[in-house]
Amino acid sequence: MRKDQFLAQLRRSLGGMDETEKKEILYDYEEHFRIGAAEGKDEEQIAGSLGNPRVIGNSYRIEGMLEEPSAGGGVTAGSVLRAVFASLSLTFFNLVVVIGPFFGLVGVMIGLWAAAVSLPLAGIAGIVALVASAVVPHLFSLSGMNPGFLVFAGIGVSALGVLAVIGMLLLTKMFIHGVAEYVKMNVRIVTRRR
Amino acid sequence: MNIQFKKGVLELCVLVVLCRKDYYGYELVQAISKSIDIAEGTVYPLLRRLTKEGYFKSYIQESAEGPARKYYQITEKGREYQAVLLEEWNRFITGVNALIGKEAAA
Repeated sequence: MRKDQFLAQLRRSLGGMDETEKKEILYDYEEHFRIGAAEGKDEEQIAGSLGNPRVIGNSYRIEGMLEEPSAGGGVTAGSVLRAVFASLSLTFFNLVVVIGPFFGLVGVMIGLWAAAVSLPLAGIAGIVALVASAVVPHLFSLSGMNPGFLVFAGIGVSALGVLAVIGMLLLTKMFIHGVAEYVKMNVRIVTRRR
Repeated sequence: MNIQFKKGVLELCVLVVLCRKDYYGYELVQAISKSIDIAEGTVYPLLRRLTKEGYFKSYIQESAEGPARKYYQITEKGREYQAVLLEEWNRFITGVNALIGKEAAA
């Protein structure tokens, strides 16, 4: 392979990097060829010992990904454009795919909360009814229900309700955590450099 | 030899060599490929990453024989990193050699 072919293949395999970066990378190989030639080696020989330009190009891409976002590299037009594009496509995805199930889940959560809260309320209501029917019998009647059953059922249902509420608190926490993670993931996708 | 393993070792080699003096790319590549068998093109991506991470600095210097050359110089951070890697390497080969010795004796 000749120098020009090597450099062209390397440039192609660098893909979507910005031009300054490509130039900086290619410079090293241009210099390498230049000095090699000055030492009397021919282009084929130099390219041969350098290795496969595509493999070399890929290793720059991989090393770029491994870099921490803080290390060097400012905001470039390309990175801004990428971020805008990423956020637009994400917004589209979120509107079309994510938002329906999200509101569905919120609805389910509200429903479950209502059920969980209504349980202890029902238990308390039973006991209140028992007390009311004893205090003001002309306004409340137990309509034939066993007062003993009402007391135990009331306590039982209340206890169950408390458990349900505790369960819902945990579930809500997980849900909020999940939503927060998803939002964070979106932010990461938009702000990462490549 | 295993490529990933070689890459890790190559990082140490580049650091060790640059601890001695400043090298320009071509010279550094020759210095390393003289001792270990590598595709010479793998050194430049490594140099670039280690420079970006602050282990090396690069500067351009005119040469007597002709056009300018890009030199790499190790930084203080690079020296520290080299010491850590070298220590790790020594511990590693001591361990491996101990194992090999045992296998051979058994």
